[in-house]
Amino acid sequence: MGQDSKIRVLIAKPGLDGHERGAHVVAYGLRDEGFEVIYTGLRQTPEQIVSAAVQEDVDVIGLSILSGAHLSLTKKVMEGLKAKGANDVLVTVGGIIPEEDKKTLEEMGVAGVFTSGSKIKDIAALIRTKLGKNA
Amino acid sequence: MKKNSKKEIKEALKKWEDEVLNPRVKKFNLDKSPTTFYTPISSDSSYFMDKVGFPGQFPFTAGNNPFEFWRAYANFAAKVGYRSDWGGTGRSGKYGGFGTPADYRDYLLKMQSMGRYGGPNIAFDLVTQCGYDSDSSFAEGEVGRVGVAVDSMQDFTVIYEAFTGNLDIDKVPSNFTINAPAAVLIAMYACLAKRRGIPLNKLTGTPQNDILKEFIARGTYIYPPAPSMRMFRDTCVFCCKHMPEFNINSIGGYHIREAGATRVQDLAFSMANGIAYIEAGLEGGLEVDEFAPAFTFNAFGGSMEIYHEIAFQRAARRVWARILRDRFHAKDSKSMQIRQPITAHIGCSSTTLQRPLNNLARAVVGGMAAGMSGGIPGAFPPFDEPLGLGHSQEATQLQQDASRIMIYEAKVTDVCDPWAGSYFMESLTDEIEKDALAELEKIEKMGGAVAAIENGYMPRAVAKSAYERQKKIENQEELVVGVNCFTGEHEIDVSINRVVEATYDPQLMKTAEERQKANLARLKRERNGTAVVSSLRSLKVQAEDKDKNLMPIICECVENDATLQEICDVLREVFGEAQPMKL
Repeated sequence: MGQDSKIRVLIAKPGLDGHERGAHVVAYGLRDEGFEVIYTGLRQTPEQIVSAAVQEDVDVIGLSILSGAHLSLTKKVMEGLKAKGANDVLVTVGGIIPEEDKKTLEEMGVAGVFTSGSKIKDIAALIRTKLGKNA
Repeated sequence: MKKNSKKEIKEALKKWEDEVLNPRVKKFNLDKSPTTFYTPISSDSSYFMDKVGFPGQFPFTAGNNPFEFWRAYANFAAKVGYRSDWGGTGRSGKYGGFGTPADYRDYLLKMQSMGRYGGPNIAFDLVTQCGYDSDSSFAEGEVGRVGVAVDSMQDFTVIYEAFTGNLDIDKVPSNFTINAPAAVLIAMYACLAKRRGIPLNKLTGTPQNDILKEFIARGTYIYPPAPSMRMFRDTCVFCCKHMPEFNINSIGGYHIREAGATRVQDLAFSMANGIAYIEAGLEGGLEVDEFAPAFTFNAFGGSMEIYHEIAFQRAARRVWARILRDRFHAKDSKSMQIRQPITAHIGCSSTTLQRPLNNLARAVVGGMAAGMSGGIPGAFPPFDEPLGLGHSQEATQLQQDASRIMIYEAKVTDVCDPWAGSYFMESLTDEIEKDALAELEKIEKMGGAVAAIENGYMPRAVAKSAYERQKKIENQEELVVGVNCFTGEHEIDVSINRVVEATYDPQLMKTAEERQKANLARLKRERNGTAVVSSLRSLKVQAEDKDKNLMPIICECVENDATLQEICDVLREVFGEAQPMKL
């Protein structure tokens, strides 16, 4: 992938949680930031998310979770990516994430955790920095 | 003193703008004035009876009643120290639920020992809300998380072991936050009454049973919109005929706004949904005045804009009253009322993670709006709302006290519709009504709420509005204290100590899934398998006939210990499943 190709992002809602506002806002926002954004829609299993990420050849997965099940769901996505040899996919998590869980998520390899009050610009900046791309 | 004609006021206004306002705007180098001033020409008070009327009379702009029941007992409640979750005297308990049915039952018993006697106001876990059982692959990690797990009649019965004697179900109301599988939970409630020897007509309470907003905002749908409405029709007819004291639904604009809708979309979409529910009841063969009085509403959405939220409540009451009277020819004034336990509030999405104690100040603003628009001034939500799931006991105490301070010390609720006649408030009420009716007309032209969900219009409009709001916050067009302004190094980051025991025991939360799966496995081993299979087979046959009311057969399934998912799976087979919306 060249320097100027668009960064591809999969915004995903794992589990049964139906709070979509954050996912919608980030999907629209990153699109306006010039990213290629795919949104899975509600109720995806971690397996579905991993295979969509591989199939769509995305650079980033943004998981949106507000049900409190963020630790187990994120862990499954991380393991699934590893199993498919897609460790290079950047994973970010957004939602209601208690402070004490942020560290656990980062230890799993999550690149960034974004809670209420986050700015789209900051999410975009983190993705660009971590991927070393300006697209 | 002399009386002024409209013409005189208009001329005086022009003169004031030229001589006082505009020079001042210019002096401060502004494009326009940061404030607005309203005069008698902003609103025509000569239509008082049509537009405002008296509290308790059409069009209910000034309120459903001269005072609500809680207000009648408010002073008494203060003197005896009565606790209720809104600071008034409501009988419904705090919304909650977690873990297995036994975990939740024990929690409720503990709350009762602390003087919280409200009826069950049950939050179900997402597994239950989406029509799955605890042993489903979709359930992993979610059992007992955001509410209590209910897989079967047995589970339902266990929860209600906390409600006997003075708190039996013919004495306290039950609220169920359940939508797609509402029919199953209503059937369980009916079955419980039957087993306890309580006549169904003694049952009170409210199921949310508002599936349309799930497609627009909340996401716990199962079947596509059209068959979902058939399920609504069946519950509506069943409740109306057999459980006349039990409400039919709780129509929510609240979730729609929280998902990002504007105020006008909130009103228009909830009205469109309400119209669809009324039509479903009529399609079920009922007369409008037989069932419309049992419709309730869920407070609509909220925001920090106190004036607008007051006007919104006034406009909403007027719009619904007119729809019911003029379009559906309702005669009973109860049919025309927006019955809701609370009115205005700030909405949980107005709370901030940053300097979270500020959320108490925010909630008080919402409570003031409620108190001034016909509701209990509830300072909702508790300040720790955005910190994670579950409110601390301290935050809940402060919320209740704030509400009490507004009622007893500030005397906010001593006047009914205190803004009636305000040039500004009447003009704002008119404006919100007009804009919402225009949006409603757009939906009607598409074919109504179901069509505007099927074609993606309503859910997409909400998503877009959410993004517009985010953009406004990011570019400081909308200011949120501690979030996008006043965040400098000289601000003090007020930290709070939630050193309270967790609302729900974290150890129980952790083990709930395993324990509930074991409960379910035991049930499946011990129940009469033949009866289950036979009642599920009848359910399938009857579901295929869309004129058939499915409630009696669902009651039979429930009594035979068929599980929630088994019942929903049969209906999935017949109805198909709703597809998630793509952007």
